[in-house]
Amino acid sequence: MNPLPTRNSQLALRRADYQSVPEMLDYAAHGETGITFYNVRGEILSALAWREVRERAQVTARRLIGAGFAVGDRILLTADTWPGFFDVFFGAQYAGLLPVPVSIPVGIGGKEAYLDQLRRQLAASGAVAAIGVDDLAGFLSDAAREFPDVRLQGGLAAIDALPEKPVDLRPLGPADLCYIQFSSGSTRHPHGVQITQSALMANLAGMTGPAGLDVVPGDRAVSWLPLYHDMGLIGFTMAPLSSQLSIDYLTPRDFARRPTQWLNLISRNRGTIAYSPSFGYDLATRRAANQLPTDLDLSSWRHAGIGGDMIRPDVLDRFAQTFERVGFDRKAFIPSYGMAEVCLAITFCPHGTGVRTDAIDRAVLAAEQRAVPATDPTDERRARRFVLCGEVLPGHRLEVRGTDGKVLSDRDVGRIFVKGPSVMPGYFDEPEATREVLSDDGWLDTGDLGYTLAGDVVVTGRAKDLIIVNGRNVWPQDIEWAIEARKVVKNGDSAAFSVDTVDGERVVVAVLARVSGEEARQALARDVAGAVREAIAVDCDVVLVPPTLGLPTTSSGKLSRARTKANYLAGLYAPKTEAA
Amino acid sequence: MLLRTAHQLTVENDGIVDTIALTGGTSRAHVIREICSHLEPYQVGEKPITGETVIAKDLTIDSLAIMDMVMELEDRFDVSIPMSVIAEIHTVDQLADTIQDLRAARG
Repeated sequence: MNPLPTRNSQLALRRADYQSVPEMLDYAAHGETGITFYNVRGEILSALAWREVRERAQVTARRLIGAGFAVGDRILLTADTWPGFFDVFFGAQYAGLLPVPVSIPVGIGGKEAYLDQLRRQLAASGAVAAIGVDDLAGFLSDAAREFPDVRLQGGLAAIDALPEKPVDLRPLGPADLCYIQFSSGSTRHPHGVQITQSALMANLAGMTGPAGLDVVPGDRAVSWLPLYHDMGLIGFTMAPLSSQLSIDYLTPRDFARRPTQWLNLISRNRGTIAYSPSFGYDLATRRAANQLPTDLDLSSWRHAGIGGDMIRPDVLDRFAQTFERVGFDRKAFIPSYGMAEVCLAITFCPHGTGVRTDAIDRAVLAAEQRAVPATDPTDERRARRFVLCGEVLPGHRLEVRGTDGKVLSDRDVGRIFVKGPSVMPGYFDEPEATREVLSDDGWLDTGDLGYTLAGDVVVTGRAKDLIIVNGRNVWPQDIEWAIEARKVVKNGDSAAFSVDTVDGERVVVAVLARVSGEEARQALARDVAGAVREAIAVDCDVVLVPPTLGLPTTSSGKLSRARTKANYLAGLYAPKTEAA
Repeated sequence: MLLRTAHQLTVENDGIVDTIALTGGTSRAHVIREICSHLEPYQVGEKPITGETVIAKDLTIDSLAIMDMVMELEDRFDVSIPMSVIAEIHTVDQLADTIQDLRAARG
């Protein structure tokens, strides 16, 4: 089997000038390009031209409409990288239904936590169907058991068993929603971002246009990013589709197993566009340190995007150093910034500049929230390097505001707000949560902190407590809850936060040690780390806090993670116990 | 299965592994020995790794290393463990049984 071609023989490249997803798939289906799926050895598993994606989706749509699903009904869908995902996702687009892509289980022993996540997502989305890879059919049925509204659940066979009826398609149109993106909010209280067709089209136009990746004929996308994440689904399904590009897919699991396979695919197929959070570049660099394939040629890679979490300049430096000898151009790096609430992207760095950093004085940043250039950028104790993330997309606005709501000048650090056609109308069925982040005049509070610098935005951290580990959003509440649920410590006795390290965020859990004796203390630390690892698949450092000291609370009596973190960094707590 | 009781044994002990082999479960003993060789660096104190050891909890192994280990075991024994099955594995015994069962199913 051969990979699908990079160029269409006849069809002219149209760059995201559509009004809806069905419209853009209809156009791409006139060409020969499409999706090729690879296994961990880099062998082709299957290939679907956009034409076939559309045909299969329309069959699925007629089955779903024939089964009586109503316009606007939600379908929960496990977003593993498999052809069935595209059948159901695009099938829903032609049937007037809204897909709700969700993640797959992570790690060993994670069943209960996963079922719990599915139940919360079913509740939050009000889904009436739950479909996944056959392997997860049992989990979906288990989770759906207490939801009488779920009328169809299981593997793809559940849909294939429905008769295909001669009904009219009901494609979603420009005024409709497109899908619901779970990526915001904690696992306990998930918020589903409403991705509208119009916001998606606006964001795709920005992304593929001159201020974004400036897609041209000959471009080819290569991705291992999970499709339950906006960077995977919008960045590496929707954006290539909107420009009729071919995509080569590796699953996230296979990427973790053989990171160099991602680079092999770029090399073999002359890929030009591939993205990853910093940790993916890190993983590839580490693995290649042992054996750099000699036949690797990364010279075709013109846009090496970075997004999804805080961008680590050191990681990217190491990647470039390792792969420059096989043709990688460090100027191909494109730092970008965004969030699911704006579909995906809101700023891109200009082409050909690579990673630009600003070294600022740590002490002034902490004390005065100002980004003052460091006197000696190489002094890591005093200087901290942040990556410039580029300018806001055309038609959009970005402001950095102080606590009084006033727009700050360059180099003053405040909250980042954005506005424009890519911004969501709100979270699904969550008016209160929506009001917290979206103003009446359409400004979105990103919850991120940063500053502007001659048009560029520089992200320095998050105002919220959210922790991002290897590109995954983890809410501290979920970590604390996992510890409490396993009865390791009682409610209110733990506080989770993250600290920045050169290699990324490190999760720290502070727990009140209501035990005495070194053995008992060590056992407690181990139990806490074990509970977190099993429930969330995240590794953490555990610090034991004497009950006499207690954990800091806010004036209203709520746990203050920010102050716990500050105390920890100030060395107020016992020396940290390496529990992992 | 005869060796379901293997969790009562200290599997890191080669002498006992040999005993297991003698009682007819060569490949299972082999699987367990392989798992233990991956896990030994993460042992806590003097507490031996047994079939009942809960991998993510009783040891100091982190989640990335667990994933690496599962992948290496998959390569080593030429099986692919479905993610739904991985999600239900907690102990060394369960991991060994899973690999055994997949090998048996393959014939």
